[in-house]
Amino acid sequence: MSSRDAIFAALDKCNLPDAPMPSITIEPNNEDLMGQYEANLTKVGGTLVRVKELSEVQAHLDKAMADGQSVVCRVEGLNGNRELDAKPHTLQDLDLALIDAEAAVAENGAVFVRETASGHRVLPYITENLAVVVKADTLVANMHEVVKNVKLESGQHGAFIAGPSKTADIEQALVIGAHGACSMTVYMLD
Amino acid sequence: MKIALFIPCLVNHMQPNVGIATVELLEKLGHQVILPEGQTCCGQPMTNSGCFEDAKKTTLKLLNAFKGIDCDYIVCPAASCMIAAKENFHEFDCSPEATAVIGKLKELTEFLHDIHGLERFNKPFNHKVSLQMSCHGIRMLDLATPSEIKGSGGYNKVEALLSRIEGIDIAYPERRDECCGFGGTFALDEGAVSGKMGKDKAQAHANTGARYVVGFDPSCLLHLDGVIRREGHPVETLHIAELLNQAL
Amino acid sequence: MALIGGIESHASAAEKFNRDVDRVNWHDKALWNLRHKRDLAAESQPEWEDLKQLGSEYKLHTLANLKHYLTEFEANCKKNGIVVHWAKDGKEHNEIVHSILAKHNVKNLVKSKSMLTEECHLNPYLIERGIDVIDTDLGERIIQLNEQPPSHIVVPAIHLKKEEVGELFHRKIGSEKGASCPTYLTKQARAHLRQKFLEADAGLTGVNMAVASEGAVAIATNEGNADMGVNLPKVQIHCMGIDKIVPNMDAASVLSRTLARNATGQPITSYTTFYKGPKEGGEMHVVLVDNGRTKLFQDELLAEAYKCIRCGGCLNTCPVYRRSSGFSYNALIPGPIGIAVSAGDDETHSLAWACSLCGSCTQVCPTKVPLDKIIFKWRRIHSEQGKLPYGKNGYMPWVGKFMANETMLNLGMASARTALRILPDALMKPFGMDWTKHRELPKAPKTGSFEAWFKKNRENK
Repeated sequence: MSSRDAIFAALDKCNLPDAPMPSITIEPNNEDLMGQYEANLTKVGGTLVRVKELSEVQAHLDKAMADGQSVVCRVEGLNGNRELDAKPHTLQDLDLALIDAEAAVAENGAVFVRETASGHRVLPYITENLAVVVKADTLVANMHEVVKNVKLESGQHGAFIAGPSKTADIEQALVIGAHGACSMTVYMLD
Repeated sequence: MKIALFIPCLVNHMQPNVGIATVELLEKLGHQVILPEGQTCCGQPMTNSGCFEDAKKTTLKLLNAFKGIDCDYIVCPAASCMIAAKENFHEFDCSPEATAVIGKLKELTEFLHDIHGLERFNKPFNHKVSLQMSCHGIRMLDLATPSEIKGSGGYNKVEALLSRIEGIDIAYPERRDECCGFGGTFALDEGAVSGKMGKDKAQAHANTGARYVVGFDPSCLLHLDGVIRREGHPVETLHIAELLNQAL
Repeated sequence: MALIGGIESHASAAEKFNRDVDRVNWHDKALWNLRHKRDLAAESQPEWEDLKQLGSEYKLHTLANLKHYLTEFEANCKKNGIVVHWAKDGKEHNEIVHSILAKHNVKNLVKSKSMLTEECHLNPYLIERGIDVIDTDLGERIIQLNEQPPSHIVVPAIHLKKEEVGELFHRKIGSEKGASCPTYLTKQARAHLRQKFLEADAGLTGVNMAVASEGAVAIATNEGNADMGVNLPKVQIHCMGIDKIVPNMDAASVLSRTLARNATGQPITSYTTFYKGPKEGGEMHVVLVDNGRTKLFQDELLAEAYKCIRCGGCLNTCPVYRRSSGFSYNALIPGPIGIAVSAGDDETHSLAWACSLCGSCTQVCPTKVPLDKIIFKWRRIHSEQGKLPYGKNGYMPWVGKFMANETMLNLGMASARTALRILPDALMKPFGMDWTKHRELPKAPKTGSFEAWFKKNRENK
């Protein structure tokens, strides 16, 4: 008997009483979504920058590049100074990555980023600093709402990212920048 | 109402004053109090060790003491014993008579708050008290919303009752409903951890500056009293029945 | 569930831990701090209790229909290009992982935190076969360098002080001697591990949730180590217990709201990533493991232990865990959930008694695992098997008889009262045994028993 069959046979013997699939009836808290988002993004160590035009984001990129930073920009209409290589490992000295995020979640400060936006899956993690552009009208109250809006395609990778990489594994002291990005900026486009 | 007392072994033999206060206060409130014969123990020391067979005879003896007794409620001044009795009765006897007994079981605070609706006290109690919110009373008997439960709709029957007494100053130890470490045979099986839990709890009570540690579980109070005297804290344990009786 | 293999009872190990009071206080405070942060996070959600209820219901529904959801998960994985493997136990799990690595000639494997692979003892298995296994979660890396198992399921190095980590890093990764600043040490680890990520031939992670309707696995980390680990090399492997399945994204949304809040008080982990297929040109494997789970599923109550989402909240709230530390438990997973899933295999028979039955764990749990009831049940199972610790086999029947006999009880207690009243403390203390190590003996009441008082003052009036 294969192990798959053995596990299924064991499960057949279990007879746990059936329990119905629940349904979520929690009302989303839509009061001041932007205020909630900003408070929570700040709590998780990220920075919110509200912009009216994409060109304002370009100004931030220009400043970073003028400071000598290497910038990969994956947002259409904006420019960085570095392209993705075939091998993602070379990104390890990247200073800043800017990518599109698809949705933002007020209750926890997260944005949803998928690999088609980042090019390489590892980009949002390996970069020293991460920035995303997300449209304000994609902001929803909570995780129940957001999973209705973001659909993962077959073969895809998608991530909720809430702030920079962090750890508190040494005596619970919070340290920003464990393995992933050391900062996260969310450009919220009105 | 006619009240049958369920007096656990610990109260009967080591803290008779708690039983006496219970009788006196119920009588002051106009109830008739009886003590059915043949009660020894709820069986908790054995069932908490997993020894159901060893508990059976004891538990059934207690249950039988109440079967057929004419009363409105069976009241017990010990939350932990009350809960254990309820669960153990279910375990060993599913008869309608047993169910009738189980249906009448009330812990003293629960009875006074939910059934009697005690609103008025006659005498002030001009002391600061630190409440000992015992685990079984709050997490199994719902005397108060446990600190782990969040969201809306919290309640606290113990505080609700006591706050009606003039002059009383109610305080809580830090980590208000952390276990005192008694846990029946746990205190002997896990002596070091139990002792440390007791020390920490006693310290937290003492830190409130209260004169009395007030609780509804004689076993926790017995444990804390032993630790308080060992550590020399300037605070004394007091069962809620004794406090309520003084204020009536 | 795997055990560390010690033969010492919990009480004995805990007694040793308690000899260093400062350390106990430090450990207790560190863990309580997590409970406190959890409380604040839970309080901020008015629907907190509803989320717990939903979490419980989703998990119960899934466990009751596990075969259906495993089948659905497997079929959807295949559509997404994910290779699914089945392992009945830890040994088979290790063989599967090794065969994948061997096929690709993997020499360097980066791992992110997985209690399942700890349970299966994967690391030593792979290291023996010439594979350099690097744990990449900072806490896991610390204990790997320190050659210890995790002492907590979420913060595995919580038992170590920063000075100890500094000394360890100095010896093992060449950081400055005497350094103890967590930021400095973390940066040292970042540089050390960045190199390991870049050199890795394969990445392996645990799984927080596997979504049946999607054929995707979700991994939550704060450090981003899981994503760094699997997104660079060609081969990625995800190992999971069969209990980690959830039906759909709605269920995932519920658990993603409670997991981090209940663990550390964060609204969500920094990264919650869904992998629904391999990267371009890559390979993705999922290994589904039983390893004793279906055995516990035979019992309706014990099965509920596998509603657990491994947030560690029950450890943080447990007054016993906080005062005895993870290594006192003869189980890989310590604390209440560790007892719940491991007590059946515990050769010391003491795990189920490492608990005062206070019930805080059950109330704190984000999926309402009835931990205290499960622990209580394990005691009963042990009793029925005659495997009681601390001499209970001998004295419990005697206690049972004593308590059931009014005459004996009354006589016994009357003599105890008299002895306590008239004999000097020093003479009485030896009779108190463990009790008097930490507390005074009870004060004897001045009167006789309550029953005697009642007879005299009420019935005879």
